[in-house]
Amino acid sequence: MSHPEPDLLLVRYAELALKGGNRARFEGTLVHNLREALDPIGPYEIRRAWGRVVIVPERRKRQALRIVARTFGVKSVSPAWRLEPDVDALAALGRRLLDEQLGPGARAQQGAAVPGFRVRVKRADKSFPQPSGELERRVADAMLEGEERVRVELREPDLEYGIDVRPEGTFAFLERVPGPGGLPVGTLGRGLCLLSGGIDSPVAAWLGMKRGLRVGFVTFHSPPYLGEGSRRKVEELVRVLAGWQGPSRLHEVPFTDVQVAIRDGAPEGLRTILYRRSMARIATRLAALEKAEALITGESVGQVASQTLPNLATIEDAAGLPVLRPLVTADKEEAIALARRIGTFGVSTQPEPDCCTVFQPRRPALASDAAVCARVEAEIELGPLEDAALDGVSTRRVLA
Amino acid sequence: MDALPPIDLDAAATTRLAPSARAVLVAALDEGWGNPSSRHARGTRARAAIDEARRRVARAVGADVDGVCFTSGGTEANGLAVLGAARARAARCGQRPRVLFGPDEHACVRRSAARLAEEGFEVLALPVDASGALDLEAADALLDERTALVSCMLVNNEVGRIHPVAALARRVRARAPHAHVHTDAVQALGKLELDLEELGVDSLAVSAHKVHGPQGAGALVLRTGSVLQPLSHGGRQEHGLRPGTEAAPLLAAFGVAATEADREQPAFEELAGQLRTHLLERLPEDCKPLEVPESVASICALQLPGPPAEVWQHHLEARGVCIGVGSACSSGSRELSPTLAGLGLDAAAGRQVARLSFARTTTLAEIDTATAALAEVDRELGALRG
Repeated sequence: MSHPEPDLLLVRYAELALKGGNRARFEGTLVHNLREALDPIGPYEIRRAWGRVVIVPERRKRQALRIVARTFGVKSVSPAWRLEPDVDALAALGRRLLDEQLGPGARAQQGAAVPGFRVRVKRADKSFPQPSGELERRVADAMLEGEERVRVELREPDLEYGIDVRPEGTFAFLERVPGPGGLPVGTLGRGLCLLSGGIDSPVAAWLGMKRGLRVGFVTFHSPPYLGEGSRRKVEELVRVLAGWQGPSRLHEVPFTDVQVAIRDGAPEGLRTILYRRSMARIATRLAALEKAEALITGESVGQVASQTLPNLATIEDAAGLPVLRPLVTADKEEAIALARRIGTFGVSTQPEPDCCTVFQPRRPALASDAAVCARVEAEIELGPLEDAALDGVSTRRVLA
Repeated sequence: MDALPPIDLDAAATTRLAPSARAVLVAALDEGWGNPSSRHARGTRARAAIDEARRRVARAVGADVDGVCFTSGGTEANGLAVLGAARARAARCGQRPRVLFGPDEHACVRRSAARLAEEGFEVLALPVDASGALDLEAADALLDERTALVSCMLVNNEVGRIHPVAALARRVRARAPHAHVHTDAVQALGKLELDLEELGVDSLAVSAHKVHGPQGAGALVLRTGSVLQPLSHGGRQEHGLRPGTEAAPLLAAFGVAATEADREQPAFEELAGQLRTHLLERLPEDCKPLEVPESVASICALQLPGPPAEVWQHHLEARGVCIGVGSACSSGSRELSPTLAGLGLDAAAGRQVARLSFARTTTLAEIDTATAALAEVDRELGALRG
């Protein structure tokens, strides 16, 4: 390309820097996760240094930056240049980066605010002759002579030209691409997410990942009431989420026999509750295989009839593990906004039925009782059907 | 039928289907022929193959998967970008919206731009300096609120010139708020590292058969949020931008070819450099390479002495070597191409220009054979010249 590429990517951590005794483990997991995500694009170096991760990709630097910017645990990432700690060199690079950011020789657009700008020097190499403040002033003076596109703003700048003076070298950067924050996937154990084709469950999975869980997925499929399109849709959702946490496992449970037995044997109003209790039981047993310590669902209080407080309690009664509901108090709009950011919204809104809608009761019960449900389940002998469903589970690894 | 010449030094025209792409193509023709819009298993299978291809092409050009709009090839992708983006923006750009295009665009861009001129757009060529390179500072004067579209190819197909598209795009952003920036990257895929975001363009066009994929498949890759008017109307395939049943087998093969082109790009850059040096060191003295300062190594334009290059072409093919003469797409036309005119050639000199271009499969031994053949033909034609 026509403009010189950055030498490296400077990665700043989010809160893991605060986690005391676990810090080394969290950093190790972050580096491991970054490696896994960067491996497909070609050779690179990666190392930990001065509370940052430094990545030197041989090629596809912009793509590497985008990958880093969607790795949990990353607070922000900057393409950075290594250069001599020399005012003229630093100012020349700074001007070039401003050109790239603002357009070369651009005039301020009429009416548009002139962005605030500052130079910020961090000096770990105390043998360096100039104090930080003096270097900041000299670089800023050299950069901003005749410069009308920015104004100096020391408190809340829109643009900050960062200079790290380290014994290892001097590094400069302007752009700071925000990461997703949170904790590195895998640092806080595993969860198993019950994935339908809808908007909420993928968002719930993503929020679990953000808190450091490695998330496995289970989906319930009811052929021939549902076609290949529904399966493909769920796989696509897992693929998008694998773009955030890395290769992901998807378990598909053949659920037709269980659903038909409930449809034909149980009171109509309880159908949805009973499907969900059955799913919770099957997922709990799969979780043991996954070494998952919690189930994750997209449920939100009051969103549909099965999600009233009494019904949530009845469903939870069937689960043998904590049920995490990251969206429990979220509005639909909030879930949709997150789904758009994550990249699942477009897939979730493809028109495919899921296994709950096909067998939906006309009038679902708004309140239910776990003991009553357990009695019905015994009467229609769901246990052996659930055993058979588990025997029929197919599992695949989904890559981004 | 006569045997075809074994050595192909015309890779910029097209390339041989890679075994991996061929395997995917054949398997899809046999088994993956469902209509991707059908909701049954056969349709779903074809849809999944297209989705896979979309991910592969997106990755090869550093774009979002949703930005990939598959087309029948580079010409359709370029036409869709130029016509579709300019028309979609016309209303915002005043009475006479302006369209700017590069100095040596492929005919599919030039003729689409000419069509826009008939529709009332002001169509201008981007200014160049004496060497034929883009003059970015002079271009600034043409960039304003009226500018609806700027289209400049990344790698020229005739002489391999690399245009500073990223720098151009930054200047457009700074001055022309409504402009769509498009680049024809058909000759760039597999030769340069492509990244839509890094280029800063709104769209780029790529083609399968230039990178060992099948003819009949290409893509317009768009930045998220780009608005285009479709050129044809019908179903909602390809976000409604390119209606009609998708050619799933061709696209699946394109996906595989795109991945390989990207993966092999650094190695090919190195190989092409070696091939070029090898060629130039062994050229007969009166075969002169055209001087193009910034160019890819894999396209090497030569001015050959004596009769038109086409005569050389036929003499060489009799010796088992295929070379290019002009751009294959405009062969038949006798006009001097804007590319060669930009290098200061007149029509007579232009007819003497041959293009030797390399593929990933080209070897140093083939260059040896080709240069030996060039020397023989040079002697033979030289004797005719007296």
